[in-house]
Amino acid sequence: MLTLGIYRFWMKTRLRRWYWSAIRPGGQPLEYVGDPIEKLLGFLIAVVILAFYIGIVNLLLMFLSFSLFQGNGAAYLLSFLGVIPLWFYARYRARRYILARTRWRGLRFGLAPGAWGYAGRALWHWTVTLLSLGLLLPRMTFHLEKYRTDRTSYGTAMMVQGGRWQMLYPAMRPLFGAAALTGVAALALNFGPTPAPGIGLAMLAAAAAVYGLVHYRVRTLEMLTANKTLDGVALTLDASPFRILMIHVLGYLLAGVAILLPLMVLGFVIMGLHFAELATESGATQIVLLENLPRWLLIGVSAMLYFTIFLIWSALTHTFVTMPVTRHYARGLRVLNPARIEAIRQRPRDEVVQAEGFAEALDVGASI
Amino acid sequence: MSTLLRVGAAPAPFAAEAQYLDGACPRPEPVRLGIDETAQELVIARDDGIDLRWPLTAIREVPDQAGGDLFVLRLRDDPLQRLLLSDRDLAPRLPNLRCRAPVTKRRQLVLWAMAAVASVALIIGVLVPRLADQLAVFIPPEGERALGEVTLEQIRSALDQTGVAPVPLCEAPEGMAALSAMTDRLTDGQTMPLEITVSVLDHEMVNAFALPGGQVVLFRGLIDTAERPEEVAAVLAHELGHVVSRDPTRHALRSAGSIGVLGLLFGDFAGGAVVLFLAERLIDAQYTQAAEAGADAFAHDLLLAADVAPGALAEMFRRMRELGGEPEGLVAHFLSHPALGDRIEAAREATPEDFTPTPLLDDGGWSALQTICDD
Repeated sequence: MLTLGIYRFWMKTRLRRWYWSAIRPGGQPLEYVGDPIEKLLGFLIAVVILAFYIGIVNLLLMFLSFSLFQGNGAAYLLSFLGVIPLWFYARYRARRYILARTRWRGLRFGLAPGAWGYAGRALWHWTVTLLSLGLLLPRMTFHLEKYRTDRTSYGTAMMVQGGRWQMLYPAMRPLFGAAALTGVAALALNFGPTPAPGIGLAMLAAAAAVYGLVHYRVRTLEMLTANKTLDGVALTLDASPFRILMIHVLGYLLAGVAILLPLMVLGFVIMGLHFAELATESGATQIVLLENLPRWLLIGVSAMLYFTIFLIWSALTHTFVTMPVTRHYARGLRVLNPARIEAIRQRPRDEVVQAEGFAEALDVGASI
Repeated sequence: MSTLLRVGAAPAPFAAEAQYLDGACPRPEPVRLGIDETAQELVIARDDGIDLRWPLTAIREVPDQAGGDLFVLRLRDDPLQRLLLSDRDLAPRLPNLRCRAPVTKRRQLVLWAMAAVASVALIIGVLVPRLADQLAVFIPPEGERALGEVTLEQIRSALDQTGVAPVPLCEAPEGMAALSAMTDRLTDGQTMPLEITVSVLDHEMVNAFALPGGQVVLFRGLIDTAERPEEVAAVLAHELGHVVSRDPTRHALRSAGSIGVLGLLFGDFAGGAVVLFLAERLIDAQYTQAAEAGADAFAHDLLLAADVAPGALAEMFRRMRELGGEPEGLVAHFLSHPALGDRIEAAREATPEDFTPTPLLDDGGWSALQTICDD
């Protein structure tokens, strides 16, 4: 904050170095060799390009939206839709940068260029998935993962994603269950004598859907990992969906409890400001606690609290969510047939001039 | 080089086991480490008998390692080779362990930083305003009206500090009648490009602004400060000048473009604060000097045509300047224009010598307007 967010490039680099060194497949740590300066540079390049796009496009959309639809809803929707391809593009670029800066046993990983191809395929698969009401979700998951994996290399070896997309259907079971429950709940709500059982079923269905999503994510990850090969080296991943879900639930709960106190103080200050103003306005002479403090001080304190809350939240979610999730996955990862690794050799450096600038500017997910 | 004075026995020779990665093949190689004290070099003994020698001053630590059980070393000018030690016993012998790598891309960085600043400035300062000016003329009246309504909502929410409800509009019926009588008198016989809506916000700021779609908003503070209805009418006429030249529409389109760009720069971390700040800026619409002068001239003509002395505008400006202690709202807005004195002068001079004004509102009307916010 003090550096207007510029320090975040250094922070990310240090965090990643730490996480990478903690992940040790076969006892050997990963190493992250990204450079904050190149991240900053990439961000600046992205700003130059995106500023044009966003400034001009937003303005045009706002104009069209008010001219044709008399409201700004259409503009927001369209500018959101317009950013989606960029979003996929940015994710692929960020992945390429991160892999290019990751080493294991001294060799670099790499991802071949192909961000626009990825964005196009991602859009197509998302459209198909949405049109099929989610039934073709495994097809999307598989093909996008295959696109990424088949372009991933470790040293001189290329990674290959094997298997078929149909193999992912078993991971959908809890989601199908949740869908069935939703159907029953809808029936109970519409035709049942009292709404109570219907509401209970709907809540159950929502919980099942949340679990279902986590289950799908973890199980597909396991299956996809088990079908990846790298010049005869194979991988297996063993993870528990329930464990991952619990880490998220408990982690966010803990972080939430921790920010409650500063949130309450912030609320108190804001209320205080308001009452002080009311008191002044109505000419009341009784002393309101915060009235005698200068306004800028109160605003300063509020701003400090606001950022404190952000800091606590991000630090605690790292401690209680990102770290345990990473640890859980890292512990379950096995390298089969490691002897074959020794035949692999170093690959040349991939400069990736823009680093992950687009992802940074567009704020594309990824907690670290 | 410092001079070492050795007293007693020489220090115990250093010896340790480590793993070495050459950065060419992925096999960690077990090596034995020793120190050549005369050459001040770390000797890395490999199984093939070919020793590697790293100058102690050129060895750097790879920082931020998790677990604390690994001490990872690299050579200053070599990006690939690594030495993995299981303890930090060697650390005291390595003087430059934590030296930073020199920044190699400084030139590039400065260039791109300047390019980023320049392109954002170009977009916000030139491109977006130009485009907005062009487009403002083409936006149909219904669209403009909707834009104005959305903007008014945003401003009302931004001004509200309770976080509960937007700042209320004042709508006492007698006051509204007086206000519309005043507006009709000003616009009578004029061809306005848009239907004019005048409303009053229940807020103590001494301010007024025009919004797209012919909306003019007065603050209660302005009516409270004015001593005659003519002074309120003068400010109203000035804002009508902005409406006629479509300044607010331009301004709203500009900020639509700029908000996205600024949001991009600051990210979500400070995003909320930025949006708030921008909403605040909307009110303090900084039109150009030319736009302000144009609105003033328009107001002079409008007031004369309505038999009101344009000098009222001068009185209002003077009153605002006297309020100077309160650096917000219209005062700050006008103070930022160095030519306020000139504008007061211009408003005074716009009143002809032999001018006989017709009163704008009777006493009843004026007091109704003053109490428009009382329910």
